[in-house]
Amino acid sequence: MSILYDEGQQAIATESRRVLDARMDKGRLLALLEQVGRIDQPFWDTAVEQGWTALAVPEVHGGLGLGLIELGLVAQAAGAATSGAPFLTVGYGAAQALLAAGQTGDLAALAAGEKLATVAFAEGSDPLPAGSAVTYADGKLHGTKPAVIGGLKADIAVVLARIDWQPVLVMADLSDVTRTAVPSFDNSRLYADLTFAGTPATVLAEGQTALDLARDVLARMAVVTAHEQVGGAEALLNIARDYSLTRKAFGQPIGAFQSIKHRIAELYGLIEVARANCIHAAASEGTDEFLIAAADARLSATEAYDTASRDCVQIHGGIGVTWEQGLHLHMRRARTLGIEQGNLLFWEDLLVDQLAGAAA
Amino acid sequence: MSELETYRQSARVFLDSMAPKYARPARSGNTVEQDLALGRQYMAARYDAGFAGINWSPEFGGQGLSNLHKIAFDAEEMQYGMPVGFFGISLGMPVPMMIHYGQDRDFVKERVTKALRGEEIWCQLFSEPSGGSDLAALRTKVEPDGNGWRMNGQKVWTSWAQYADYGVIVTRSDPTVAKHKGLTYFWVDMKAPGVEVRPIKLAGGDSHVNEVFFDNVRLEDEQRMGEVGGGFGLALHTLMIERYIATDSAGFGPHLDLFVKLAKETTLNGRPAIEDGRIRSAIARNHAMRAGLDSITRRAMLMMQAGMQPGPEGSLQKLVAVRSRQKLSELALDLQGTAALPFDEHAYVKEDWGTSWLNAPTGRIAGGSDEVLLNTIAEKVLGLPQDYRPDKGIPFNQIPA
Repeated sequence: MSILYDEGQQAIATESRRVLDARMDKGRLLALLEQVGRIDQPFWDTAVEQGWTALAVPEVHGGLGLGLIELGLVAQAAGAATSGAPFLTVGYGAAQALLAAGQTGDLAALAAGEKLATVAFAEGSDPLPAGSAVTYADGKLHGTKPAVIGGLKADIAVVLARIDWQPVLVMADLSDVTRTAVPSFDNSRLYADLTFAGTPATVLAEGQTALDLARDVLARMAVVTAHEQVGGAEALLNIARDYSLTRKAFGQPIGAFQSIKHRIAELYGLIEVARANCIHAAASEGTDEFLIAAADARLSATEAYDTASRDCVQIHGGIGVTWEQGLHLHMRRARTLGIEQGNLLFWEDLLVDQLAGAAA
Repeated sequence: MSELETYRQSARVFLDSMAPKYARPARSGNTVEQDLALGRQYMAARYDAGFAGINWSPEFGGQGLSNLHKIAFDAEEMQYGMPVGFFGISLGMPVPMMIHYGQDRDFVKERVTKALRGEEIWCQLFSEPSGGSDLAALRTKVEPDGNGWRMNGQKVWTSWAQYADYGVIVTRSDPTVAKHKGLTYFWVDMKAPGVEVRPIKLAGGDSHVNEVFFDNVRLEDEQRMGEVGGGFGLALHTLMIERYIATDSAGFGPHLDLFVKLAKETTLNGRPAIEDGRIRSAIARNHAMRAGLDSITRRAMLMMQAGMQPGPEGSLQKLVAVRSRQKLSELALDLQGTAALPFDEHAYVKEDWGTSWLNAPTGRIAGGSDEVLLNTIAEKVLGLPQDYRPDKGIPFNQIPA
């Protein structure tokens, strides 16, 4: 399935881009890189004020009742601005898990931005471990989830754990959990190891149902992230184009050299393929096509953003690697977004499993 | 069901009825001449059934439907492998140009009907040894001759010229002005005295392209299309006509399903190749790329349905699809090892990896090379500067050879 954005959706795209253009500040984001445990508060205040936290929450739970298409458009704007907090995506993922399990008590607080939620699935190279190192017994969690996105500040988390050797998806209150900050190359993501020692948690799903739900939530978050990646890649394309029009060498703008202009044209190709996949995936929410569409979006968006960040720096030459110029904000974000919500290797395998099954 | 979907279904009903006689399996083993004869029969049947000239005016034997109807029909027809290749260029560019610019309207009407029925074929005489990507560098010249013109020169890469009855041609009428400004556009009778066609055998073994030589060929002034000196504008118009054509994210090579099937059937290191990470990565990346192109196409269709102009991202289709088809075909051959070595020169390009691989370079060059397409995207879509052009603004006859 595919769509053309309607007027309301176009307005969301324009308005979110406009607000962030006006309020984001490169200096502020650069400073965050050297501090552990800080988000860009003005960005997050904007997200709450603009209702982005409420966007995909149903109206009966205090949200705006919109979906992946609209959230994707906001994520695209956030990606272009190398947004200063990770909760747009993981908060959405947690809300989707709670909704699916019918545990809707926290949704209004999440929609209003009064509570922060995250998702704790990944353990090292496994984005979706069926045999987690975190165990659940008698209503309590034990063990450690490494480098949880937003883990330093989240109030609640949806955790993929196990009961004996069965997967289980639970919702945990993080007020008494031990948080160990993970200093990273992109510190505003607030990565933290969460150590549970008898942390109270409620079951959302068990066994295969838990794994299926976790996978669905991961795919949804991957589609949001793919939009963010497309936004970042597109911003880099524009930066590279503008620079190559003004920077001169050998008596002409460097954009007149095919080694530069073809590189930028290739980026355009990667971005448009990824954008088309994102639109298709968002519009396929809830259908049988969704998982494959999410994988396509994720693979092409990661490739587009990584390539754009490599090439944009290269086109800039020396100035591109300076701290102050700030292209490394995108370079860093391209990699953290590439790792969060399942790396390329995971999505390649998932996609081929789906295709090989389908072609059997 | 939408009107367009109803139309698509009626197209399938027609194509199903034609398939036993004309589709790919029925053509297997045909010589080119047999295939052409079969193609002419199919074109006549298609005309009689009302599926010819779908988006053309009824005044010229067309159906008066939209571009979308044409694309829908073509996309369906492509899946059957009908013998329509001989007529694609003819009906794609030269004949629509005749409808636009042909001076003798009765002559035009007669030609259009015969072309739609497959009785006559038109070719497009643009590229020359000295002007391919740089079309305006062409050297075939016309000189005034009484009330008409006399033409001398050579064209190359002209598809199906050996079977063509007529062609449209861009010539140099004035070498004393800048290269784009001294061109004039004509139609030419390919059976006229002084026209000689020599097929060129391509690397893949087939000979659908030709060299065409013109030795003192007489052109009446009523064969001129557009103004004297207006040829470059008409050439651009020709290339714009077929903007809305059926695309193929497989790059007109095999579908990805066939690669998945091959990977499941082939053993690598004692295990099915579908379990090998390198093969899996190639499948996944190709799927993501092709799905993106398909999605671009679907959005372009929706925009056209809504009366909007599709975005410039449509210009990515051939560039992205054909070169990845080339690489995937290489990998498919590599994967099979020595089992890939047997080669059937008559195999179908959409079903056979060897044929797909061997013919892929043609696809990356014909109809705008990868490099020209990248330049077009960079300059027209992204606003980057033109390449350095030392011949710009200089009279053609003063450009150093």
